[in-house]
Amino acid sequence: MKRLLGAVTVVGLVVGLVMAFGIAPREATQGNVQRIMYLHVPSVWVAYLAFAVVLVASIAYLARRSEGADRLAHASAEVGVLFTGLTIATGSIWGKPTWGTWWTWDARLTTVSILFVMYLGYLLLRGMIDDRERGARFAAVLGIVAAFNIPLVHFSVYWWRTLHQPPSLMKPGPSTMPGVIVAALLVNFAAFTLLYVYFVTRRARVLRLEAEAEA
Amino acid sequence: MTADNWSFVFAAYGLAVVVIVTYWRFLVRRERELSEGDTLRRHGSGMPEPQAEQRSP
Amino acid sequence: MVVWKDLLVERRSKETLNAVFFFGLLLLFLFQFALGPDRERLAGTLPGLLWLGFILSGLLGLGRTFVAERENDCWEGLLLTPGDKSAIYVGKLAGNLLLMLVVETILLVLFGFFFNLELAAVLPALAVVIALGTVAFAAVGTLFAAMTAHVRARELLFPVLLLPVEAPVLLATVKATEAVLLGEPLGSVAHWLKLLAAADVVYVAVGVLTFDFVLEG
Repeated sequence: MKRLLGAVTVVGLVVGLVMAFGIAPREATQGNVQRIMYLHVPSVWVAYLAFAVVLVASIAYLARRSEGADRLAHASAEVGVLFTGLTIATGSIWGKPTWGTWWTWDARLTTVSILFVMYLGYLLLRGMIDDRERGARFAAVLGIVAAFNIPLVHFSVYWWRTLHQPPSLMKPGPSTMPGVIVAALLVNFAAFTLLYVYFVTRRARVLRLEAEAEA
Repeated sequence: MTADNWSFVFAAYGLAVVVIVTYWRFLVRRERELSEGDTLRRHGSGMPEPQAEQRSP
Repeated sequence: MVVWKDLLVERRSKETLNAVFFFGLLLLFLFQFALGPDRERLAGTLPGLLWLGFILSGLLGLGRTFVAERENDCWEGLLLTPGDKSAIYVGKLAGNLLLMLVVETILLVLFGFFFNLELAAVLPALAVVIALGTVAFAAVGTLFAAMTAHVRARELLFPVLLLPVEAPVLLATVKATEAVLLGEPLGSVAHWLKLLAAADVVYVAVGVLTFDFVLEG
C-alpha cells in the first residue's frame, strides 16, 4: 500500500513537472519565470489542506482522545509547515525577477508568513511539553485556535493590502488563463496532494512507532 | 520581451526538490531505525538500546 | 464563583498593574529615543506605536495570569473546582481585561501628553476600537497563559504563540486607530470593526469551549 502510494506520487510529480516545463507554454507577460507558479500555488493549496486536517484531527482528538487523531494532527501540521515554508520561498524567488525585490508585503506572502509562524509555534509547543497526553491536548486547542484564525488573517491582510493601495501588478491566481496553464496547475495540484497524503501517512507511522518504542 | 530568468526557475524547483527529498529521506530513515529497534527488542536481543531512541525529530 | 475569582485576581493584580504600567512608560521613552524627536515622522507611526505599547505591556501582564496558581501550588485547587471550569476562564479573562484597559488608558493619556494629541473629540471612537482590540487580545492571551503555565521556557513560548495569532487583530486595530486619530468617523472603518468583533466572538467562544481541556490533569 505504501509502495503503491509512493509510486503513484512520484508518477504524479513527474507528470506535473512535464506539464510545467514541457507542455505549458511560455507565459505572455511574465516569461518563463511564471513556471514557478506550478510549484508555488499547489504548495499553498497543500498548506491550507494540511491545516484544515489539523483542525479536524484536533477536534477529533478532544472529542475521542484517539491517539491516531493526535498523530494525524501532528503529522499534518509538520507537513503543512513544510509546504508553507516552500510557498514562502518559491513566492520570494518568483518575486525577485518579477517585482524586483525578494520580499514584499503582498497579500499572499503576508498571509502565508503569518500561518507559517502560527503553526511553527504549534510544533514548538509540542516539542516543549514532555507529557505526551498534555502535549496532545494543548496542541489540539492550539490547532483549533490557529485554524479559526485563518479567515481572520486572510481578510485582515487582504484589506491591509488592497484598500487605499494600488492592486498588485501580477496576480498569480487563476482568472482568465489559457486552458493549458490551468491544466498544468491542476495536474500539479493533484500531484502535490498525493505528496501530502504520502508524507502525512509516513510521518504518522513514524510517530506511532515512536510511541510504541517508548511504551 | 521580458527576460526569462531561468536561473530563478531552476532555483525554485531545485529548492523544492531538495526540501522534498530531504524530508522523504528523514521519514524513511526514522522508520527504518524504529522498525529495526522494534525487531531487535522483540527478538529478545541482549544488545543495548539502538541509537534510534536518541534523537527526536 | 466567577466574581470571587475576579476579586481575587484584582487584589493580586495591583503589583502586576504597577509593573505593567511602568513597563509601558519605559516603552514610550524607548520609542521616542529610537525614532528621534522629529514630530512629523513620529505622527505617522503613532497608531502603530500605541498598539505596540499596548501589546508589549499586555504580554507582560497576560503572561502572569496563572503564575500565582503555579507558584503557590494552587494548581490542584483550580483543577478540583466543581462545575464548569470555563467560569475560571471567564473570571480570569475579566480580570485581565480590566488590567489591560487600565494600563491602556494610562498609556493613552501619556501618549496624548508626549505627542501633544487632541484626544477629547475622538475619545469615544477610540474607546470602541481599544475595547474591541483588547478583548481579542485578552481572550487568547488568557487561554494561552493557562497552556504555557506548565511548559518549560514559558516566558518564551507565550509571546511566540500569542503574537502570530494576534497579527490580524493588530492590523485591524492600528488601521482603525489611524482613521479615528485622523478624525474620520467610525463608519469609515466599519469592516475593520466587524473583523475585530468577529475575532472577539471567535476567541472568547473557543476559549470558553476549550478551557476545560486545558485545565485537566
